[in-house]
Amino acid sequence: MKKVLLTVSIMVVFIGSLLAQESPTTPRATRVQISQGPEIALAGGYLTVIRWTVNNPGGGPVHYGVVHYGTDPKDLSQTAKNPIRLNPSHSSTVFRVHLYDLPPKTTYYYKVESLDANGKSDGVTSPVNKFTTQ
Amino acid sequence: MNRRRLVALCTVTVTVILALLISSQTARISAQSTGTQSTAWHTGDEPDKTPPPYNPYPPGILPADLNSEIARVLREVDNIEAEALAQLRALPPPILTGNPPTFQNTGQRLNVLIGKALNFDKNMSPFQNRACGFCHMPYAGFSGPIPSVNLTMIAYPGSFQFRAGKRTAQRYTYAPNFPVFNFNIQQELFFGGNFWDSRATGYMLGSPDEEQAQHPPVDTQEHALPDTACIAFRLETAVYKSFFEEFWGDVLDIKFPANTEEICETPGGAKIFGTSATPIKLSPEDRARANDVYDHWGQSLDQYEASPDVSAFSSKFDMFLAGDTTLSADEMAGFKLFNGKGNCNSCHVDGRSTAPTPPPPEGEAPNGEDTGATASVKPIFSCFGSANEGLPLNPRDAFYYQNRPDFFGFTPNPFGFGYRDLGLGTFLRSGFGAAPSPNDTWTQFAPTSDGQFQVSSARDVALTPAQCPTTEAPGPYFQKEFFHNGYIKSLKQLVHFYNTRDTSFAKPVTSGHCPPGTIERVTCWPMPEVRNNLDTTTGMLGLTDTEENQIVAFLMTLSDGFSRPYPDKNTFTGVCMTGGTAATQGNSTLIPTPPLPPCASAICGVAPLPTKPIP
Ligand code: HEC
Ligand code: HEC
Repeated sequence: MKKVLLTVSIMVVFIGSLLAQESPTTPRATRVQISQGPEIALAGGYLTVIRWTVNNPGGGPVHYGVVHYGTDPKDLSQTAKNPIRLNPSHSSTVFRVHLYDLPPKTTYYYKVESLDANGKSDGVTSPVNKFTTQ
Repeated sequence: MNRRRLVALCTVTVTVILALLISSQTARISAQSTGTQSTAWHTGDEPDKTPPPYNPYPPGILPADLNSEIARVLREVDNIEAEALAQLRALPPPILTGNPPTFQNTGQRLNVLIGKALNFDKNMSPFQNRACGFCHMPYAGFSGPIPSVNLTMIAYPGSFQFRAGKRTAQRYTYAPNFPVFNFNIQQELFFGGNFWDSRATGYMLGSPDEEQAQHPPVDTQEHALPDTACIAFRLETAVYKSFFEEFWGDVLDIKFPANTEEICETPGGAKIFGTSATPIKLSPEDRARANDVYDHWGQSLDQYEASPDVSAFSSKFDMFLAGDTTLSADEMAGFKLFNGKGNCNSCHVDGRSTAPTPPPPEGEAPNGEDTGATASVKPIFSCFGSANEGLPLNPRDAFYYQNRPDFFGFTPNPFGFGYRDLGLGTFLRSGFGAAPSPNDTWTQFAPTSDGQFQVSSARDVALTPAQCPTTEAPGPYFQKEFFHNGYIKSLKQLVHFYNTRDTSFAKPVTSGHCPPGTIERVTCWPMPEVRNNLDTTTGMLGLTDTEENQIVAFLMTLSDGFSRPYPDKNTFTGVCMTGGTAATQGNSTLIPTPPLPPCASAICGVAPLPTKPIP
């Protein structure tokens, strides 16, 4: 019963922002962790998609997945990033970042992180991984 | 294509353009010599006042039935206008009372009906052939009413035929619900505004929708009046003038100069006006009065759009929220996918509770499962933000072909296929094809807004005339067009696009050039027109074919007219289409994109520049 009441009161608080229906800012997760990936979700000729899943980081509605990459593991100086919109009701969040026109049969090293629209880091970075283009 | 052929092609193009330039030059000179010192492009006693049409289009770009379809829609517009007049006359007059004085009892209805009369008045254009409703008909959810246009040129022809815009006629149901365009500093995001690029901000009147209604009358590609005061001028002779005067207290007796009709029947952009936005010479007092009338024009139109005549909240989904009906199994499954695996409600906010998932152990939801409960509000199905969904360039868009001057010496798109639609990014830069931005502190965010368009309300996307009850082949169906450039032709394709855009179907080609063995819009998605800021909330959703169809079924529950009839939905007098499949709907009208020149520097070279240039 107590729990039901709590849920109802949370809902009432949030209805204010619902009326306007602009995407809300949600409480930040205390700790963001990668639960899946990063992995190569698509190894196309012209489009490579790197994907990973974290617990919903919260904060502002738009977050950026960022991939730092390069052919030398000590020099990941290239970056690619794509925005996503968090779904406040989802417990986990999937990031996908696009890399275009990578040359064939080349090994790349990369690590991933995510930021909110202000550039504030979600505080999670992957170890350096590698993949080879087709 | 080898270089020699390219050069030959270019030479031919240049020759053709030159020839056309010369001929249009002579046309203008002869037009001018009939009426020196005035704007008249026809002599007073000429019976037929129609100037030669503007037709820069290669064969096949304008649909074959365009003229008869324009005539059909104009008849329908006239019918609704007649109905609006009858409704105005039948309305018991309100009583002005109280302080501040209020039109008691029927005042609000009066304003709505004035808005309706304005919306379907085709005299509000130089050639008295375009009303707002011409591009926004009730039976299409107040979007584009001509199936063949939706299938081909995507933009609607304006008053000076065949100038046409660059984007699809947005549904204006629920547009009044969008807030004033604003920048949320904490989130570093823009919200609100009207138009695909949010350029109607509401910064002056406090309502983006009221300001929106002030754009089409003077948009060179739409109503194309050369001066906003032409609205007050045409209202002087409107049949419903007395209602407008009664309600707004405007006395429509501005002293217009003798050449006003000549000016108002010459489309905006005409060389003769130079850069003037006020070719009608008015005293400062009369100009102020004409401006007031123009504000009232916007305010009445907004009240019509906000009324239950347009934004009705009468869909099956609304009844379901109220507990008065149940969704079918497929619709319910679609609703769950919309919130869950499809991730649609990250942007098309459906009014569910935004209560965050409780922390583990009790609350841990599996990946992508929605744990929110439906809240008792009327969701608009938009977060009022913007995103780049990565639509491919649509080579059928009429805008690309309007790169030479028309009879009036106006060139709608000097850049031809060098035009790129950067949406919000171009508006923030006050750039070509947008409107001036009223706030220069926004400009710095242009590079992170390039390619973004407004998150449309998903409501009424599936609304069609009764006799063609669906948007989807094999029908009988009403052909609509989706997204800002109309690249998508059915809701099945729309969901399939969100589902598979970033899979192995993504091909490094432009539209019309999908590799052999693939089918465009089914197993091949051409490259995005603008890669910058591409949103990846969707694009690789892993939905099955059945799940895609379930989301389509859910989208269909968002059409108004379920719990009570939708006003004027029965006004369609055209024909439905039949046959084919929703997945390949419209594929027979795909054309190859020509080799694209780089984006014109007047568009992509305007500061602040993105770190990665737009090709
Ligand atoms: C020639 C066709 C045409 C005419 C006439 C026309 N419109 Fe539109 N309308 C469009 C197009 C195209 C768009 C989208 C343009 C853009 O975003 O750049 C649009 C957008 C809108 C929107 C924005 C909806 C939203 O959700 O932001 C509203 C509201 C609207 N029109 C109302 C009107 C009104 C009111 C009039 C008459 C004063 C009118 N239109 C006349 C074609 C037309
Ligand atoms: C990241 C935000 C975002 C997500 C997630 C999203 N949309 Fe959209 N939606 C948009 C934007 C932006 C537009 C307008 C895009 C354009 O025209 O370029 C749009 C347009 C639409 C439209 C209206 C098209 C029209 O012509 O009026 C529908 C319907 C729609 N989306 C359905 C969906 C469905 C179904 C999903 C989930 C599979 C979804 N959207 C996910 C942002 C989003």
